[in-house]
Amino acid sequence: MMDILRIMLHIGILYLFYYAGVWIQEQLNLIIPGSIIGMLLLLLCFYFKLIKPKWVELGTSMILGHMPLLFMPVTAGTIVYVDLFAGAGMWLVVIAFASTLIVIIVTGKTAQFFAKRREEHG
Amino acid sequence: MGEWLIIILSIAGTIIVYGAARKLYMRFSYPFTLPIVTGTAAIILFLMSTGISYDTYMSGGQWIEHLLGPAVVALAYPLYKQRSMLKTYFWPITMSVSIGAVVGVFSGYYMSLLAGLENELIASVLPKSVTTPVAMELAAVINGPPPLAAVFVMVAGIGGVLTAPLLYKYFGIQHVLARGISIGSASHAIGTAKALESSEKEGAASTVAMTISAVIVSIIIPLSASWLF
Repeated sequence: MMDILRIMLHIGILYLFYYAGVWIQEQLNLIIPGSIIGMLLLLLCFYFKLIKPKWVELGTSMILGHMPLLFMPVTAGTIVYVDLFAGAGMWLVVIAFASTLIVIIVTGKTAQFFAKRREEHG
Repeated sequence: MGEWLIIILSIAGTIIVYGAARKLYMRFSYPFTLPIVTGTAAIILFLMSTGISYDTYMSGGQWIEHLLGPAVVALAYPLYKQRSMLKTYFWPITMSVSIGAVVGVFSGYYMSLLAGLENELIASVLPKSVTTPVAMELAAVINGPPPLAAVFVMVAGIGGVLTAPLLYKYFGIQHVLARGISIGSASHAIGTAKALESSEKEGAASTVAMTISAVIVSIIIPLSASWLF
């Protein structure tokens, strides 16, 4: 029971940061989504020790552990686009797949190059 | 009264479907039995066979969807926990993740142009490398349908996990850190889960990469939107 209350409180804190991020985005007319701004804000608060990671720990692991549940209602929205996957949609699947392979190769090679250099030169 | 019943039933139904999909995945763990794949398919089949409209379902479903905002905020936590790795490998990580982010967005864009696709569809494929809640938000910013964006995020996740071992082999990517960074940049949370199975360090690198990639792509896409479309 205490855990449920704690999880709700933690998620409440996350909401606070989310709305702060959205507010900042609207006020400053930024192009970055409010949720990302909220995440960066929380990161800063951790960094400057304004918020202890323990204060949101249970809530974050709960919400991140069950992320698929959270976006299942949206992914079910593909029902509206079912016809698309007979035509252009198939192209997009191929493109998304091919592009993913390119990202893995390019990022992996680049990271390996820099990581080895970092380890050799300290 | 009836309205509330529909809301409660759709929320409860979604949670039950998700729970069942998770159980199934625990018994048969393949990329194609991921809860998001089987759960989504189950909801779609249910709606199609009963004739209930998606909008009706979403009167309840939107309450679950609403938690996606704080879910993105929550990503700060795993990133902060890996701060020592980020500090040690700051340049290797930021350089390669940035390059990966640019390559991911623009390779998708130019291939879509070659295929002669419409803007609305192109917009939904551009954010495919980042974690679903961020990808949906970014798609919405450039007028791409979020549900489609979520599908391509799944393609990137599953496709990456299936092919990464082969790509590592053929392209000589042996470094644990490089493997983690590349799968996190290309295949977000699905890739990170796989990386964690290989080693803790690979998982940590993937966690850091997917979060930083989400931030970088969140800057690239809205910035370049005006001249892409």
